[in-house]
Amino acid sequence: MRVAAALLTLSVLVTGCAAQGPPFEKAYAPPDHATIYVYRPYSYACSLLRPAVTCSDDTARIGPGGYHAFVVPAGQKVECSVESSETADKVEIQAEPRVYYIKEQFGWGVLTGHPHLNPMDADQAQTEIQSCCVKEPALP
Amino acid sequence: MAPSSGATSPATASQLPAQPLPFKGRLADGDPSELPPSVALSLSSNSIVVFSYREELTHDEYHIPLWVSWIDPVTYFGSPLGDYGVTAFASLSVTDGDRVLGDYTAKVHVSKSYNLYHEPTHQELEEAARAAVRAKIDQKLHNDADRLAQEIAAANISGTIGR
Repeated sequence: MRVAAALLTLSVLVTGCAAQGPPFEKAYAPPDHATIYVYRPYSYACSLLRPAVTCSDDTARIGPGGYHAFVVPAGQKVECSVESSETADKVEIQAEPRVYYIKEQFGWGVLTGHPHLNPMDADQAQTEIQSCCVKEPALP
Repeated sequence: MAPSSGATSPATASQLPAQPLPFKGRLADGDPSELPPSVALSLSSNSIVVFSYREELTHDEYHIPLWVSWIDPVTYFGSPLGDYGVTAFASLSVTDGDRVLGDYTAKVHVSKSYNLYHEPTHQELEEAARAAVRAKIDQKLHNDADRLAQEIAAANISGTIGR
């Protein structure tokens, strides 16, 4: 009984950090706009960190197992960035009216994890994002 | 790019010295001291061009659960415990009578992490967000300033001929 309770508590603690929301669905983008999916596959390491990811004007906090679709005007350079107290990373995209994928991953830091943004190939990213991630809302 | 710990702000544009616009305008309403710098430098009470400027701030925050922080040794060495954020949205319209000459919007999110020993003040974050969003509006306005100046000059000429 105690073992079962401990396992239940442990599972709640571990899964409680994961993002919660509706499963992946394709975002609607008007013509002449690009869609940038930023996603973060679940990983226990750094799962309590949710730094704000900004693409163009919009910002979202993406938890482990979450994604956010940024819809931005095409024909201009778009910067996606993420910062923590120790480091920052950014990706620049010359936005065309198509879909882009960026994976957010965390590396080791001194006192806290270091977030990284990695542009991904569409083939790999499409499979990953559909299997791993739930939708995260944008910040107001 | 980051001015300080965990701050997300496009500081490059705000570091440029403000320059007045090639035309003058009057402020529809609001505080002249709370404007994008180039608009503030281009005010004239008797101009036919009108500036309408609006800012909105929204706060957000994220905290690592307290029980984790308590048992995590790095907390006591100054590891971040979460962060505070401010989103600033600004809109500026430039009008000449009923005619809208230009409409510009910008949105900026600024966040700063806090730890056991230090946390940013709301005022500090708000000021950073306001400065960043004003700089963005300034940049958009300067990119469009030549077209605006031409439209205003053309309107002035046709207004003179019409009289």
